[in-house]
Amino acid sequence: MGLLFVAPMLVLFLLFRFLPAIGAFFLSLTDYRISGKWDFIALDNYTRLLSDKVFHEALLVTITYTVIFVPLTVLLSLGTAVLLHQVVWKRGFFRGVFFLPYVTSIVLAAVIWKWIYDAQDGLLNAVLGLVSIGPIDFLSQSGTVLPSIAVTSAWKGFGYSMLILLAGLQAVPKSYLEAAMIDGASTWQRFRYVTLPQLRPVLFFVLVIETIGAFQVFDAMYVMTGGGPVRSSYSLVYFLYDSGFKYFDFGYASAIGLVLFLIVLIVSLVQRRLVGRDD
Amino acid sequence: MAQVLDRPPVRPVVEAPTAGRRTGGRLTLPTLLALTAIVTIVPFAAMVLVAFAPPSGRTFPDALNPANFTLENFSKVLSSSDIPRWTVNSLLYSLVSVACVLLFASMAGYAFAKKKFPGREIMFWAFLATLMVPFQATLIPSYILVAKLDWVDSYWGLIVPTLANSQAVFLMRQFIMQLPDELFEAAEIDGAPEWRIFTMIVLPLVRPVLATLGIFVFLWHWNDFLWPLVIGQSGKMQTLTVGLATLQGQAVPINQLMAGATITVVPSLLVFGLLQRYLTDSIAMSGLKA
Repeated sequence: MGLLFVAPMLVLFLLFRFLPAIGAFFLSLTDYRISGKWDFIALDNYTRLLSDKVFHEALLVTITYTVIFVPLTVLLSLGTAVLLHQVVWKRGFFRGVFFLPYVTSIVLAAVIWKWIYDAQDGLLNAVLGLVSIGPIDFLSQSGTVLPSIAVTSAWKGFGYSMLILLAGLQAVPKSYLEAAMIDGASTWQRFRYVTLPQLRPVLFFVLVIETIGAFQVFDAMYVMTGGGPVRSSYSLVYFLYDSGFKYFDFGYASAIGLVLFLIVLIVSLVQRRLVGRDD
Repeated sequence: MAQVLDRPPVRPVVEAPTAGRRTGGRLTLPTLLALTAIVTIVPFAAMVLVAFAPPSGRTFPDALNPANFTLENFSKVLSSSDIPRWTVNSLLYSLVSVACVLLFASMAGYAFAKKKFPGREIMFWAFLATLMVPFQATLIPSYILVAKLDWVDSYWGLIVPTLANSQAVFLMRQFIMQLPDELFEAAEIDGAPEWRIFTMIVLPLVRPVLATLGIFVFLWHWNDFLWPLVIGQSGKMQTLTVGLATLQGQAVPINQLMAGATITVVPSLLVFGLLQRYLTDSIAMSGLKA
């Protein structure tokens, strides 16, 4: 009887989760073309990836983006969480404001921020113009494009991690902080030596969630830059998308997907290791 | 569920200084908080201002003058693009998915939590394991599958594959596990048919989780990009989110683009305005991610 209740979801999962997961592996060993014709080519797609300059660039872009985005978003969410935790004044209101961008789509964020960064008409350059800086074409220079996109994504998403961290802060036992206060610890010392160690598991969770998310970056780049200038914002998922739906090289695109899966898996396993040691 | 966030503030409640009241030049925490909030809200405010600004001239700082506000950008973008059709697509994609995911996930969650059947454990863990596989990694095979079913560019292809939602099943199972067994046993002894137990006992009890989960599923689908981009290949089958990206790519005048952007965000804002508490509390409690 129980099986009947699981049945609809089970069928959906078998067809649209398990089958594609297994399919991805097998496709990556073929040269499946849009015509449906394919040959088994073993690991050829993977050896091709190893020597593909575009893949190297996309991997480097993705890693660089992650290195910029993760600290940015974690600091932003930790900062706002600490502020919200300290300031009682209108806490619910401010929490709502910080959370607001999170309910919108990354496409919306990208459309707004593309205009904000615009060299001629953009809001940011108008503000910078007031102090005689610029105009800077943020999205057309290889040096500024990834940080600009990272800021957009961080703005869109930090509300989520902020809520997790805020809950973590509120779970720190009050007695610990009072004991430290009696011992004469300053505000900073209390934060550094009492709050932060207590917050570590939560902080780690946030770090891993954001890292996994960063490795899957695509939407913002698709909308804001089209991967440019000259592929300096061309991520792994962008490369996957193009290989699949621009060049219809489905086998090759599946191999890129498997590389992405491995990266996410490694990040998750490293997290389990480190958090496990914590307990 | 809500108590943890609603409990009294940890710090003694001293009347905090209002932003700007202090003149000493020292940056107080409330001031910093207010400043951060302003920076967070500016992009939205700018979007709305530009959407209502007259289309002539430089967009900034003309956009700031409320005397010139107009609805022209909205009427232009509505008549020159497929926004009405995209809105219907987005609503169908989101609402049908919410209804199906809530029904199927609570059925599966109930079975995993309270029913005994062969393979239950391994099936549940297999469901969970799919959480580890990023959607993009299976994008290509999913697309080929949908193409084989001849579902590309159709509502079937758009909606059905996205109903396999392991987070939803997991959440429902966790919640139903907490309900006392006696509730279901009593009904079973009375000989109530399984389906009636589900509709008359389980569904009413899980209403609060259904509400929360419903909001999340709605936002996942409303804001979803990659799958609708790949499946809705003709202009007619795009969702609003994909359509907005299309508009962006078509060099639509900035005022009209922002008017379009404003239209796409209205449902999310409605959900946010009405149900913010549900959203924020459930994230803090369960780490559910939209």
